[in-house]
Amino acid sequence: MENVTTLRETRNSGIHINWHRLLPWVIPVVLIILWQVAVTAGWLDSQLIPSPLSVLEDGVTLWQTGELEKNVSISLFRATVGFAIGGSLGFVLGLMNGLSKVARGLTDTTIQMFRNIPHLSLIPLVIILLGIGESAKISLVCVGVLFPIYINTYSGIRGIDPELMEMGRAYGLNRRQLFSKIVFPGALPTILVGVRYALGVMWTTLIVAETISSNSGIGYMASNAQEFMDMDTVLLCIVIYALLGKLSDIIAKTLESLCLEWQEKGGANQ
Amino acid sequence: MNPLISLNNLGKIYGDKTALHDVNFSIYPGEFVALVGMSGGGKSTILRLIAQLEQPSSGKIAYAGSRLPVTRVMFQNDRLLPWMTALQNVSFHAHAAATQKQAQSALNSVGLSEFADSFPSQLSGGQKQRLALARALMANPELLLLDEPLGALDALTRRNMQQFIRQIVDEKHLTTMLITHDVDEAARMADRIIVVKSGTNVYEVAGAKDGSPEEVADVAQSVLAVILQPDESAVRA
Repeated sequence: MENVTTLRETRNSGIHINWHRLLPWVIPVVLIILWQVAVTAGWLDSQLIPSPLSVLEDGVTLWQTGELEKNVSISLFRATVGFAIGGSLGFVLGLMNGLSKVARGLTDTTIQMFRNIPHLSLIPLVIILLGIGESAKISLVCVGVLFPIYINTYSGIRGIDPELMEMGRAYGLNRRQLFSKIVFPGALPTILVGVRYALGVMWTTLIVAETISSNSGIGYMASNAQEFMDMDTVLLCIVIYALLGKLSDIIAKTLESLCLEWQEKGGANQ
Repeated sequence: MNPLISLNNLGKIYGDKTALHDVNFSIYPGEFVALVGMSGGGKSTILRLIAQLEQPSSGKIAYAGSRLPVTRVMFQNDRLLPWMTALQNVSFHAHAAATQKQAQSALNSVGLSEFADSFPSQLSGGQKQRLALARALMANPELLLLDEPLGALDALTRRNMQQFIRQIVDEKHLTTMLITHDVDEAARMADRIIVVKSGTNVYEVAGAKDGSPEEVADVAQSVLAVILQPDESAVRA
């Protein structure tokens, strides 16, 4: 027994590295190292695929000239505004149709018809109607994020356990209390799945829209660089997409851990 | 003594199916009544009508003083809100005037004081049912309705919970109606047992609360005999 105690003390006295936190970064780091080695060893043509260090240098140069900051900022602005408007619309529609039979009867069929139109196929129409200004890109992001949030809000509300609703009524809750104490918290996990999915759609839509019709933003920067065969910048843009995607994922996970503490604690116990 | 509630010619029809027809009985203040019968016999329908979760198709329920008593239901599955802690689950239905102290006191009364910050998924089956009981007790109900609350528990936990509920009910002098399909449970816990047959005929048997195991077994046997007898030969109490 004494030996066991001594062993534990020895283990705890060393530098503590949280391998669990580092684990997700192992594959990206290994891929970047392999990429660098492949270019340095000449296995890859550096004219077509520049090395990670070269891409990083290009990023620093573009940052110093202010171009990178300007394009990332405008893309973030479009993404945020589009997500806020489209997400709010999807949430309100999902709420309305989830709670009201009349609203559901009136709008759900129409929404389902629009939902099945690939939103990127609207790009030509949006360019003709709105040009290549901000409203065009923001509108496309709105349409892209609206449906995932609508469908998940609607499903979340419709999926509430009727026994919990009956319990709430038996305990004298009014309609407002039923919503705030049972319907909304019960639907939240599904709504957050929609938010997570919508964040992915948000970047995809914006990047495609910026690549096709824009004079600013990360998508524009990439397509402009392609015109000049500036592969450093093209790859830099791809890396920025990956980082923004990861940022969205972190935001979604943070939201989930803030709002769904009960699921994490329950899960940890099972 | 005037009854707390009286069911007068109570009837309930779902579509073309008659679930209850002309049911009559009363529950008196402070009494622990068990409602037993075959599945589909209308026991739960009676509870739902008393709890006003549904409206009767015919007849009426009369209340003492013509005022609906404060009624709380404990359901078969705990129906706890998984996103709320134990303390929040107990007080979620309380009005602003009700304090956290009252909720904590309700938790204490069921022996869950140290689990105030736990979520339902972190509790065992028995603890969940005790939490559901604390929630029902929070409003100081005049009538406590128990809808097969112990059906999903293992035999030992179930036995402990039977004693525990009866003890709490006695301490608080609660008027209680228990729905159960377990005749032993009804015999052990109730002052009076009401047997509902085919949603219409109602028979009464005295319970064996605090009785010896033999007395409980005798009462359970009598109840079972009433349930199994054809309606024509059953002796109406």
